[in-house]
Amino acid sequence: MITKTAWKNIWRNKTRSLVVIASVTIGIFAGVFAVGVMNGAIDQRVDEVLENEVSHVQITHKDFRSNNDLGSYITGVNSIVENISSMEGVNAVTSRLHLVGMANTARKSAGVKIIGIKPMQEKKLLSLHQELMDGTGDYFEEERGELAYIGYDLAKNLNIIRYRITGDVISKLDSAGLPGEVISAITGFKGSRFDNEKSFKKEMRSLLTSEQESGFGRLILEEAQTFRKRAKFTLTFVDRNNNQTGGVFRVGGIYDIPNSMFESTMVFVRDSRLRSITEMPDNTAHNILISLDDVDDAGTMTEKLRKEYPDLEVMNWKEIQPDMAMMSEMAGAMYGFFMALILAALAFGIVNTMLMVVLERIKELGMLTAIGMNKKKVFRMIMTESVFLSLVGGIAGMIVSWIIIRITSSTGIRFSSMQEGFEAMGFSSHIYPSIGADFFLVVTVLIIITGILSSVYPALKALKLDPADALRTE
Amino acid sequence: MKVLELNNVHKVYNTTHVEVHAVNGVDLDFEEGEFAAIVGPSGSGKTTLLNMIGGLDTPSEGKIEVNSTDLSTLKSSAVIDFRMRNIGFVFQSYNLIPVLTAKENVEFIMNLQKWPKKKRDERTMELLKAVGLGERAHSKPSQLSGGQQQRVAVARALASKPKFVLADEPTANLDSKSTETLLDIMEKLNRDENITFIFSTHDARVVKKARRVITLEDGKVVSDETRDK
Ligand SMILES: Nc1ncnc2c1ncn2[C@@H]1O[C@H](COP(=O)(O)OP(=O)(O)O)[C@@H](O)[C@H]1O
Ligand SMILES: [Mg+2]
Repeated sequence: MITKTAWKNIWRNKTRSLVVIASVTIGIFAGVFAVGVMNGAIDQRVDEVLENEVSHVQITHKDFRSNNDLGSYITGVNSIVENISSMEGVNAVTSRLHLVGMANTARKSAGVKIIGIKPMQEKKLLSLHQELMDGTGDYFEEERGELAYIGYDLAKNLNIIRYRITGDVISKLDSAGLPGEVISAITGFKGSRFDNEKSFKKEMRSLLTSEQESGFGRLILEEAQTFRKRAKFTLTFVDRNNNQTGGVFRVGGIYDIPNSMFESTMVFVRDSRLRSITEMPDNTAHNILISLDDVDDAGTMTEKLRKEYPDLEVMNWKEIQPDMAMMSEMAGAMYGFFMALILAALAFGIVNTMLMVVLERIKELGMLTAIGMNKKKVFRMIMTESVFLSLVGGIAGMIVSWIIIRITSSTGIRFSSMQEGFEAMGFSSHIYPSIGADFFLVVTVLIIITGILSSVYPALKALKLDPADALRTE
Repeated sequence: MKVLELNNVHKVYNTTHVEVHAVNGVDLDFEEGEFAAIVGPSGSGKTTLLNMIGGLDTPSEGKIEVNSTDLSTLKSSAVIDFRMRNIGFVFQSYNLIPVLTAKENVEFIMNLQKWPKKKRDERTMELLKAVGLGERAHSKPSQLSGGQQQRVAVARALASKPKFVLADEPTANLDSKSTETLLDIMEKLNRDENITFIFSTHDARVVKKARRVITLEDGKVVSDETRDK
């Protein structure tokens, strides 16, 4: 009876109740969705680190991480790799050579890390080979020794990627549905060539309005970029005897990942080629990468390997990328805090509304006490009303969030205008929001708690009313 | 049988500037089955007196016994419960819960008392018929006239079979025809079911219907006449 009356009371002032409910709905949705986007971005970043960059566990020479010295290498690598490969829970193992050097083209040079890999083995651990950009090569399919796999950003920095507006490009853009005035504007610079992104963008800015540029600039840039297959460049570094040395390499593929730092520094070449230039002895490596069947076993596997190889340094991905591990661990607390903030704001709205309700209904509440409704029941009625307000809005907010996150988690959301900023921090600008069931549960509980907490004060106000005074109010 | 006894009852309101002696030493007895009017000009203390009898307000001095129970000995929560079981209330206005139908309003108290549904429905319809609103059970207060609303309020006041009904100027907002209907219904309930009615008014036509007329002036009883009818 009280519940039913409370529910009906909510609809006495439809507009006001709907405004409160809508603000709760929007508030909850905004909070949950923002958390979904953050969570999705962090999950993607962590996956990216695990799948393309670090794998799960790594082994190095005790000194290698501090001095990065070519001489700090692991010996007897083959038997170590074989031993670890046979362990339970291990998916694949590979070894790498690491050196620091320079990459040079005719006009440009850049500091890089040169990684000697065994390509077919790498494929079993990492998926960097799947990030190969269309038409730039074929990873290490071809048996040529001088192939290198470099990042998109490095390719741009070395002027390996250039820009050209050809008739072909224009007709492609035309069929992609670009507006006529944009097409005719770029037709104006048909035939021009640009060495780098900067000069191309400068030209584009002079031809297009800023609106056109932000809408289609990226697409034009992507269509206009060209690269010579197997472009030549040199890698220089010091060998084991501290002699300056190096070699000529050819681009065998360009990878594109959301981490521009990684892209602009990591150059992958064949282990055999690097080994012969540096005169590194056989059966050695700087780094052993291990991928596990279950990433959650990284901690225990690390402990196990530490016991097995006390002279080597064993680290899991969380230790190698502590910022990443901390981010994903702190995320939960951050989301909770964020939601609590939103709920606190909503609670004020509910308290305010319910205080107005009590004020408006003083006379009626006096009458209810007079006819025998006791304080406990008056308290319960007002409380039920506030809880209804927050619950209806809260549930609606949760449903809307759930639906929108369901949809966007498969389509993803593009933050094109923020792409550069995102990638500088290693985050993708194409984010797939995601939220755990536990978070949904926690938020639902928080909404109920908020509803109850924000109903207490107005209900107490109603309790304090003196029925005789209440009945006399006009 | 005596249902109500007031002994030297006073009520003093302490406002910021002055003390208002709203009720000033009232002694009254009421027997079961009375049909009594409390009359007096506005501000004479009628509402204050009725509120104290109903336990909505406490006397500054003196004693009120309802069914031989001294209200001042009850805790405030017990007073509400006592009121629900023993005293029916009808006010001048704002008697009904606007979101509930006539039937639901009458049922409300029985619901709070957890009556079984069947008994509740029977009693509700019986009461609504008694006040001539059997047909309007499912109307909301806003769909009823002022007089009809007051009749629903009377029906509700009788819901828990109280010893007596207190009505504070129940006809003040009604036209003369509705006033007459309401009083006829009250009179009939009084006669047929021996329900005690104590109502305040300053309307001469209402006073005419009463069998006992108590006149208040400045919080004092200035006359108390019983007439045969
Ligand atoms: N809560 C209150 N505080 C101060 N004065 C009050 C209060 N309630 C009533 N009074 C005063 O008490 C007197 C009696 O009022 P009331 O019982 O309402 O008279 P009536 O119902 O006969 O018009 C009036 O002078 C009124 O102003
Ligand atoms: Mg009055």
